[in-house]
Amino acid sequence: MSDNIFAEIYNRILSLFGQNVKDESKNTAVNRLRLVLMQDRTNLTPEIMNRMRTELIAVLSKYVELDKEALDLNIGQEGEQMALMLSIPVIRAKDEAEIEQALKEEEEAKKAEAEKSEEDETDVETSDDDKEETQEDNSEENQDSETSEGTENDVETSDAKENANSEEEPTSKPEEAEIEFEKKPIPKIEKNKKEEISEE
Amino acid sequence: MTGRVIVITSGKGGVGKTTTNANIGTALARAGKKVVMVDTDLGLRNLDLLLGLENRIVYTIVDVVEERCKLKQALVKDKKNPNLCLLAAAQTRDKSAVTEEQLKDICDQLKEKFDFVLVDCPAGIEQGFQNAVAGASEAIVVTTPEMSAVRDADRIIGLLEAKEEIKSYKLLINRYRPNMAASKDMMSKDDVVEILSAELIGIIPEDTGIITSTNKGEPIVNDDDSLAGRAYRNVAQRIIGEDVPIIDFEEEAKLSNKIKKFFSKFLNKGKEN
Repeated sequence: MSDNIFAEIYNRILSLFGQNVKDESKNTAVNRLRLVLMQDRTNLTPEIMNRMRTELIAVLSKYVELDKEALDLNIGQEGEQMALMLSIPVIRAKDEAEIEQALKEEEEAKKAEAEKSEEDETDVETSDDDKEETQEDNSEENQDSETSEGTENDVETSDAKENANSEEEPTSKPEEAEIEFEKKPIPKIEKNKKEEISEE
Repeated sequence: MTGRVIVITSGKGGVGKTTTNANIGTALARAGKKVVMVDTDLGLRNLDLLLGLENRIVYTIVDVVEERCKLKQALVKDKKNPNLCLLAAAQTRDKSAVTEEQLKDICDQLKEKFDFVLVDCPAGIEQGFQNAVAGASEAIVVTTPEMSAVRDADRIIGLLEAKEEIKSYKLLINRYRPNMAASKDMMSKDDVVEILSAELIGIIPEDTGIITSTNKGEPIVNDDDSLAGRAYRNVAQRIIGEDVPIIDFEEEAKLSNKIKKFFSKFLNKGKEN
């Protein structure tokens, strides 16, 4: 209770000087609208986005150990241009041996089922650059978008959590990698992020 | 004479299409233009109510289409302004009673006799919308600064852009609350314009006078003291081609907000203690 009183006084003092400290809901509205309009205007449904996300994870996991649950892919807008925002929290970079092994495994998997893996290859080269560029822009947008997507994703992700740990062979079965992605913890992570920000 | 056929549409219901139609039509007629309003919301007609003409309707658009009367006979003259006419929708039929071609034909006939043909479009993006748009070459997209209305307006704009006959469309933001926009509790006109990237034709502030004017069946543009009425008259002037600046309600609101806050701060302090 005492906290609230102090916060209230602090806010009042700030607002005396014309500072706006309250939660401005119009920004939430604008951000949510932007996102939903992007989806309306393009045909990038949450399902397609989710597919894109899981395929990206499969590719990136060969080179880095990443926080799969916190990886975030969003459609955004920069001026008139539509942009895909990708934010990838990296736990650690893999060493050469690990990468080589992953690549070998991939090739073996390819030989095994040559037809299935066509699209993955092209993504490999671009993925590393994207990561660096978009990580910063993304931090704000993630928070607003997650809630809307979360509900749809929950349905698919019930089984196959075990696969999430199988980083050593991420590309062995790309089709199955799709369901390994666990979406539920994300709202928690996002909440934590928000708290951190507000405390600052 | 070849008049302009303007469809007034929104996608979402309840944002004020019909009110906008009645007021812009009346304002244009007050400015000396010959105006006819066409209600295409078959089965849910309301334009007659807003104009206070509900008791004068003998024939409707469906009667014209089904040749029970001539087009001229179905036009109802406004009580006050002889420049203003209404072609009412049928209340007993549904949207399928009139086709796109028939509506286009009616608009083509009307624009020979009138400066402006204002088509009141039903909510939605189905056949009723397609019909209403069929005869028009311009559109006014009505929205409010709410997410659902803006989203639907975006959809409508997409559909309008796909139509070759629609040469231009403009955005009208209705039920604007400058106080809430100034305190960032609601999207501002700039937010809406930016999101929809459409040209603005006017902003109508939320006004309780709209309700009372509807009660009386008299468009608010006839009330010279009303802010919403003034805003609608400005819109009509812009349609005619005059360069009228858009009233900056927010600046006015910001000032009054600050004054209110200043006093409420002291009042609240007294209450809490």
